[in-house]
Amino acid sequence: MPVSTDSARYTAWLERRCAVLLQLTLGMVLLACFSTLSFAAEENDLAGKVKDPGTQLWNEVRQREGVLQGTTQVAGMDSAVLINVDGERWRQFRMQQLIPAAGLALGGILALIALFHLIKRGVPVAGGPSGKYLHRFPDIDRILHWSVATIFIFLAITGLILLGGRLLLIPVVGDSVFGALASASKEGHNLFGPLFILGIFGLFIRFISKNFLASGDIGWLLKGGGFFAGKHPTAGFFNMGEKIWFWAVIVIGLVISATGLILEFPFFGQTRSIMALSLVLHGVGAVLLIGGAFGHIYVGTAGMKGSLDSMTTGYVDLNWARQHHDRWAAECEANDEVLSQSEVARAQGRSTLGEVPEPVIKGES
Amino acid sequence: MTEFIDGPLWYFALTVFIVGVIWRISSIFFTGKKPDYSVPRQASTGGAVATVFTRFIPRRDMAPKIRIQTVAGYMFHLGLFALLLFAAPHVAFIEHHLLGIGWTPMPYWAFIVASQLAFLGLLILWLHRVLNPVTRLISDFDDHVAAILTFVVMLTGCLALMEGFTGLRVLHRFTVELLMIYFPFSRLMHAFTFIPSRAFTGAWFARRGVDA
Amino acid sequence: MSERLEKGLAAMRGQMDSRVASFLSTCVHCGVCAEACLFFTETSDPRYTPIHKTEPMRKLWSREYTFWGKIASKMGLKKPMTEADLADWEMLVYDGCSMCGRCSMVCPVGVDIAYVIRKVKEGLCAAGFSPEDLVAAGERARTIGSPMGVTEKTLRSTIAAQEKESGYKIPLDVQGAEYLALFSSGEIAGFPEFIGSLAKIFSHADVSWTISSEYFEATNTGVQLGNSKLAAELVERVVAAAQKLGVKYVISPECGHAYTTIRWDAPNFIGRPLPFKVVHIIELLEQLREEGRVKTNSTISDRLTYHDPCNISRRGGVLEQPRTLLNMVAPNFVEMTDHGSMNWCCGGGGGVSSNERANPLRAQAFGAKKRQLDEIQVKTMVTACSNCRHMLEDGLEDNEMDIELIGITELIAENLDTSGSPKAT
Repeated sequence: MPVSTDSARYTAWLERRCAVLLQLTLGMVLLACFSTLSFAAEENDLAGKVKDPGTQLWNEVRQREGVLQGTTQVAGMDSAVLINVDGERWRQFRMQQLIPAAGLALGGILALIALFHLIKRGVPVAGGPSGKYLHRFPDIDRILHWSVATIFIFLAITGLILLGGRLLLIPVVGDSVFGALASASKEGHNLFGPLFILGIFGLFIRFISKNFLASGDIGWLLKGGGFFAGKHPTAGFFNMGEKIWFWAVIVIGLVISATGLILEFPFFGQTRSIMALSLVLHGVGAVLLIGGAFGHIYVGTAGMKGSLDSMTTGYVDLNWARQHHDRWAAECEANDEVLSQSEVARAQGRSTLGEVPEPVIKGES
Repeated sequence: MTEFIDGPLWYFALTVFIVGVIWRISSIFFTGKKPDYSVPRQASTGGAVATVFTRFIPRRDMAPKIRIQTVAGYMFHLGLFALLLFAAPHVAFIEHHLLGIGWTPMPYWAFIVASQLAFLGLLILWLHRVLNPVTRLISDFDDHVAAILTFVVMLTGCLALMEGFTGLRVLHRFTVELLMIYFPFSRLMHAFTFIPSRAFTGAWFARRGVDA
Repeated sequence: MSERLEKGLAAMRGQMDSRVASFLSTCVHCGVCAEACLFFTETSDPRYTPIHKTEPMRKLWSREYTFWGKIASKMGLKKPMTEADLADWEMLVYDGCSMCGRCSMVCPVGVDIAYVIRKVKEGLCAAGFSPEDLVAAGERARTIGSPMGVTEKTLRSTIAAQEKESGYKIPLDVQGAEYLALFSSGEIAGFPEFIGSLAKIFSHADVSWTISSEYFEATNTGVQLGNSKLAAELVERVVAAAQKLGVKYVISPECGHAYTTIRWDAPNFIGRPLPFKVVHIIELLEQLREEGRVKTNSTISDRLTYHDPCNISRRGGVLEQPRTLLNMVAPNFVEMTDHGSMNWCCGGGGGVSSNERANPLRAQAFGAKKRQLDEIQVKTMVTACSNCRHMLEDGLEDNEMDIELIGITELIAENLDTSGSPKAT
């Protein structure tokens, strides 16, 4: 009998909820995409029908050939620019390209995940539960992971409200409610942002040593990680997919963090152009990470059965380890690090009191 | 709704809080103690007072094993006290609605940093509570409600930082009032009872001539 | 409610006081106490977390002594306590706790957890959920006068043997002697040389002392069981014996819990101050050394360390005296990393050693001591408690560790300066 029956039942419950949630979110996002696309299409209809006699004047005013700097007595960044195009450029980009693209990207990823799940239905542990366990993540790693996850989800939600709320939420909740929602999101997003930076710094310190390129990683990638067809390729403690995700979080996370800091503390000589560019990078980076997070959450919960345990209890089934991280499993077995069911049960306070648990004898399979 | 939360509910919460805290502390002392007929090695008052302060610092041999709880614990508690007592909106509130006097608040950036420390500390502490087998076993409903409610109070405060929307301010005040009502019936009382607790133990050990 | 449960709850209600109320109000379930407890650190089983062992008391307190708890219980919103709430805690409290008190030293909010566990024992014992070995020992203590069944006859023959072996007179039932010496049955049965050592030292130090044939037992099984009535009864026997002989002092021997009982708890069991002063043998030896009445003229060259018995050092307050004595006689004395008031328990105190069911757990808990000894690599270990000595010997044997164990009194006696002629006692 598997020791973590609670966890197994919880995982199954989670998988069912995830499937429903995915389908619902997919539907909502697709709906949002279609409505924004049609909205954008409408705007472009009128352009080019009537020629304006002051075109040249307005071209100069609009600074289509570049930002024009005048002279002024007013001190401050960009105060000598009469009409700043970057603000308008950003607004257009955001309303007409970034929001729809984000919707498509995120919706697309959700659709792919749903499709994958409909086909694969959650990859089971090869060989079933073995009754033996490996200790994969100690307390500190799990605490760090879930701290960053919580902060990330909060930043993602507040960030998406700030990104697309003006377009997508005002029609639904009205101006005054959105006003409060946006104010709350901005304050929350700005306060929790720096915590994300601390979080990914912590993740970096804890996991960098396990995320360097190793032999077998390119092979893993070329075989598609075994996700689609064929045998599960060999992998160490982290497989290539996880390593890519780690580096994505760190690198894109750094870009998001840096641009976030630039945006939150505009007292260091940032021009409007820098701010606009930062917004673009921040938004694009965030959407990429959110999409990646969808995949990460799926694989870690419903996608690969037995995975969630590593981040909740910290223990994984030996068969799961052999299946997904064979080189790491072999190393643990060679170092006598395999734990018996009763040992793990005792560490969770579930064994029979007074009984000394039997250790796993080396070589026992 | 706003009038109710700013008015009657506030007075109700304040009363429950003050009466409740006094009641709880008094009931500890009214439970009584039998006299100790043994011959003390020394007077216990010194030890009682000393232990109230020495327990703030973990013992050297224990420190490496309890680093997470210690670091996150201090981040949370110090951050919370700083923002509770020295954040400008709170100082203004205390001056207008409670004590009638105020004091110099800390600068805005310090308020934000204190809040960030408090949030991160509390998040790590609660995750530790859920993920560590020891705390997972011994924690009960009260522990989780206290942590989550405190987090919600802090979060609603953060969301209302711009001080531009009545709805957000009132939401924060409402959660504060819930916390005040919950406080005397819960483990949050440790904020006050840690003093007699440490003092009793300090006195017990001092009587025996041991530095505790 | 079953009769057993009712008895248990009534006993715990009788134990409720301000300290317990403040402790139970203040514990925030932080889990730091677990890291101080050898039963947790050596098994990783979270159920041995010290504060978890106090659950029966906490449940009672929350249901009957708190505002919301009282209302919720009356309204049927809180489940009433059941027998299982006591029965399920028997092994945690009796097998998995030696009352060493290390947890009480580290709690960030100052909870004296060992103090509360002692009170939980009252409830479990009254409800009949105590280990049968310990209950039997208590019965023997009550009827025979010794938990191990050591009779007056055995005492007399042991005294005679020790007189012969040591060459010193051992005074029995001397009216008006200054000091009355008590012994643990474990000493009489296992380490009788302690008695001979006392005779030698007291003879040369000119100490007026005696042993009472009517009552000699230092340990108190009532305390180990959590039976205040039995504890008081056993204390009264000591008081009666002391009063009959008119002694000024009672010497607590090399036994940890015996010391805390007679020195700190005894007067409270009988509800009045003791009619004599209590001194631990180490305290007396140190006092004699200070007065120049005990001198050593040789030393032991071994690299050795001192194992602090929890109830003599941490819970008893006798911390410096053994060290001063050892520095006199052992130039190669090294301390274990966690020593003094933060020593690690031998694992056998509080009745654990009398409880055969707890043997496997106790053997595992020895791992804490093993780690300490592996770190300092000594040949000899000195201690001041015969129970610790038994437990440590078992542990060393289990782990095939070649370390000699010696009692501190014996060590002093072996190296005593006997140049002055022995005085008549």
